[in-house]
Amino acid sequence: MAFGKFLLKRSLQGILVVWGVVTVLFGLRAITPGDPVNLIVDPAVDLETRERIRQELGLDEPIYVQYGDYLGDLLVGDLGYSYQSSRPVATMVIERVPATLELAIAATIVALVIAIPLGVISGTRRNEPADYGATSFSLVGISTPNFWLGIMLILLLAVEFNIFPTGRRPVAFHDALWTFLTTFYVGDLLTWLHHIALPAVTLGTYFTALITRLTRSGMLDEYGKPYVTATEAKGIPETLIRYKHVLRNTMIPIITVLGLQLGTLIGGAVVTETVFSWPGLGLRLITAINNLDWPLIQGIIVFVGISYVIINIGVDAIYATLNPRVLDE
Amino acid sequence: MISDRVASNLKAEFRRNLLPKIGLVVLTAILLMALFAPVLATHNPNTTGYFDDGTSYPPMGTTAESYEVVDGERQSIEVEPSSEHLLGTNNVGQDVFSRLLYGARTSLLVGTLGTGIAVIMGVPFGLISGYFGGRIDDAMMRVADVMLAFPSLVLALALVGVFGSMTVSIPDPFVAAGLAEGMPSSTPLPGTVTLVVGLVTWVWFARVARGEAMAIRNEEYVTAARSLGASDATILFKHVLPNSLTPVIVLATIQVASVILLESSLSFLGFSGTTLSWGYEIQQGQEYLRQNWWISTIPGVGIVLAVISINLLGDWLRDSLDPNIEGEGGGAA
Repeated sequence: MAFGKFLLKRSLQGILVVWGVVTVLFGLRAITPGDPVNLIVDPAVDLETRERIRQELGLDEPIYVQYGDYLGDLLVGDLGYSYQSSRPVATMVIERVPATLELAIAATIVALVIAIPLGVISGTRRNEPADYGATSFSLVGISTPNFWLGIMLILLLAVEFNIFPTGRRPVAFHDALWTFLTTFYVGDLLTWLHHIALPAVTLGTYFTALITRLTRSGMLDEYGKPYVTATEAKGIPETLIRYKHVLRNTMIPIITVLGLQLGTLIGGAVVTETVFSWPGLGLRLITAINNLDWPLIQGIIVFVGISYVIINIGVDAIYATLNPRVLDE
Repeated sequence: MISDRVASNLKAEFRRNLLPKIGLVVLTAILLMALFAPVLATHNPNTTGYFDDGTSYPPMGTTAESYEVVDGERQSIEVEPSSEHLLGTNNVGQDVFSRLLYGARTSLLVGTLGTGIAVIMGVPFGLISGYFGGRIDDAMMRVADVMLAFPSLVLALALVGVFGSMTVSIPDPFVAAGLAEGMPSSTPLPGTVTLVVGLVTWVWFARVARGEAMAIRNEEYVTAARSLGASDATILFKHVLPNSLTPVIVLATIQVASVILLESSLSFLGFSGTTLSWGYEIQQGQEYLRQNWWISTIPGVGIVLAVISINLLGDWLRDSLDPNIEGEGGGAA
């Protein structure tokens, strides 16, 4: 199968998945008890006004017409208006994306920077103290709820020693970067770094632990393969074998796992944002669910679903480039 | 379903390694704590402290003005860990140790029942998908893809939001038998949360069961049964199901740990329906971190110990039964 055809097939599957996500959410909204009009106006408002709002929202239409309207609106990027604030949902989603994206990327960087060296040490020095240390760390990391880890970090590093702030995001990364590029003032960037440090470690620990585990077991698997013995027999230096062959082949399946774990990353972001009052999509989602603000709930989850699908298609494309055999399957 | 060879493999791995032993000891201790919570608890976990004027919610860090009622007499609340309150009290004067015990009940109940629901939903789904293959498999796997595109915690939050946090009261046998006076007469099981964690994690079981069914359907004994005229239903139930259980058991063990983490996240975010939950307690304590570090810290230790011990046992099962299983399911750490 050609690469283009492979990509097309995955994209069509992706569109189907997004349609499924949208449909499930529409179904959930339809079975939610209670009259949404009560969420928009005071329940004591007169019947005439209520009826007018119902008509404006299309709630008086049969359910399949509402469904059709909703799909049609989505296709042109119209996510409707929030019940609570009457603002366009698309704006409310987009304005919160940078904060969550910053957090997710920072956490991934933390995870990769710590986990890969740790996994390599663990995989090459099997059953030595360093290996025990790394495996114990990853076991604890996988088993620790990140909200508790965040609170413990706050307790130790913010409350006791006052090294880091307890939360909030006083400046956005893109603003801080812009300030730096235009005025060479580095203060905003440092403030940003200072505030994102604890949330990034909180969100990144689970992934650090997971990637350490995967790198270790992947390297052990690779070392058992005949090509390693062959390259060793040829007299190629151990370091070269370790990094050029073993680690490289180990990374391929890890990329796929990371793509699949994106959901966990987003779920973790919801919790981490709550702990650190980090104003991202997760914090907004919690508010929306508490208010049963369905247009906003739908908007956020559909956005997350689409991102998940796109990133996983990207991951599959990278995987297919690194390992063209999958194209034949 | 578990052959002698597998059983001896399990025993050998257990003897050889220290980690599964640690896991077993810790998990047993937590199970006993949960089971005998009403007997072991020193206070009713729901009894709050009171001010002099009878209002509840005493401020933290003070002992002089806050009281609780014991046998009709008001006693000064000691908010720091002491012999009366082994692990201190929380922000409303409740005993942290007693709440730790009852929280173990919630975690373990939701963990096992929620995983059970996921198994019941996911395994038949995966078996049918993998056994029949072709278009049926394609269609069913697209449904699974849709499930995977929802982050499990996010979907769980939306579902609890829709259905509300309903709880089921399970009568406490110890209190009913008169063995634990002054303890709550029933344990609240967060029903919605249990159902929802099952609904958002079944797809991992479907994937594993599907893989097994795909391998088993081409085995000779299945072909033989089919040529003898066995129906698909018979083959699925009598041959495919029993032979695919091993990886399901391994996954289920690991998933109990994941579900405990998921439940604690949900209750941390305030979507549990019961206050007797480790996650809820951690959330309550966050505001009082400065003065009273133990309120948030102690329940977290409970979660970590429970999840580590289950993961250690899961690793042991995986290593001795099936080295190739897809691990780390739909966790929401």
